[in-house]
Amino acid sequence: MSRIPLVDAEQQPQPIREFIARRGNLNVFRLLANAPNVFAGWTQMVDELFDSPTFNLRTREVAILRVAHLQGARYELSQHTEIARGAGLSEQQINAILDTDDVDAAGFSRTERVVLDLVTELCDTRGLTEDSFATARDELGEEALTEMLMLVSCYYGLAFVLNAVDLELDAAARFQP
Amino acid sequence: MTRIAYRDPEDMTDEARELMRARGNLNVYRTLANAEKVFTGWMLAGQAALTSPVLPLRLRELVVLRTAYLMQCPYELGQHRDIARTAGVTSDEINALTSESSWRTAHFDTTELAVVELTNELLTNRGVSDAVFDQAHQALGSEATVEVLMLIGRYSGLALMLNAFDVDLDESARLPIPPRHGDLTS
Repeated sequence: MSRIPLVDAEQQPQPIREFIARRGNLNVFRLLANAPNVFAGWTQMVDELFDSPTFNLRTREVAILRVAHLQGARYELSQHTEIARGAGLSEQQINAILDTDDVDAAGFSRTERVVLDLVTELCDTRGLTEDSFATARDELGEEALTEMLMLVSCYYGLAFVLNAVDLELDAAARFQP
Repeated sequence: MTRIAYRDPEDMTDEARELMRARGNLNVYRTLANAEKVFTGWMLAGQAALTSPVLPLRLRELVVLRTAYLMQCPYELGQHRDIARTAGVTSDEINALTSESSWRTAHFDTTELAVVELTNELLTNRGVSDAVFDQAHQALGSEATVEVLMLIGRYSGLALMLNAFDVDLDESARLPIPPRHGDLTS
């Protein structure tokens, strides 16, 4: 049971209604819409992250699912396990991201492994060693590395919001990436 | 020492450059501008958070300082020790918030203490007890509680990026406190 009441999507200002219509009538949006001043800006950030061509959906989902797992974010896990499947990740790969299968045997690409290691170190230590930073920069380049950190940052922070509120999982609604 | 080049304002879109200029050309923005396809959206989210009048400035800074401390983020601490003073947080209070536990005995009012407690428990345990959540929620109401949580989310996520890039603290430039909607005095 969510600790904060969820608002009715139909009662929201037009830009928020439009965002929800495009991205899904999710409990997370009905929660954040309690704070319309900040939610409207936050939706613009999310749109840019998902409209950018820098990463394919699969690479993004590797990062998001790993953040969700390490943050213990039940809500993010519930949404993104399905999106990850839709993006082509195998059950074995999803299990490896969730630490229930061997990551070395899961057949991740070199980029995906670098992303997984990057997220793990960030979530575990709140920073990166010189060597880890260099590995990620060499693999992704500066622009894409910065963008990956933006994505990680978004889901890492959102996990705290969701966990604090103990947000109920959506029955059927799914995020449209 | 920062690990990537700071983006030159000349190499940004007009919108991104204007959003950055309004908040001072801080190293944090010049670093994140390297992600040029998503930087504008991130700045717009920040502008919305900074200009919303829902949270008192002082309360905001208490949350940001506690978050920066628990995220071990020298850049956020460096910026917000000064910003917090401008927002009326005393040096003793700043020291208490940036130490392990002396904030518990500092002279914050009931609402402030409930909000710092929420911030502390959430970032330490990645979740909060019913009692700690209810205390903050009852003091603030739903809108301000969601804003506090979004603030924790934004600054905790930002701390990961600042730490990853090891962004240098600006020599003297500090984030100005922007005028807020409906706020005639600032």
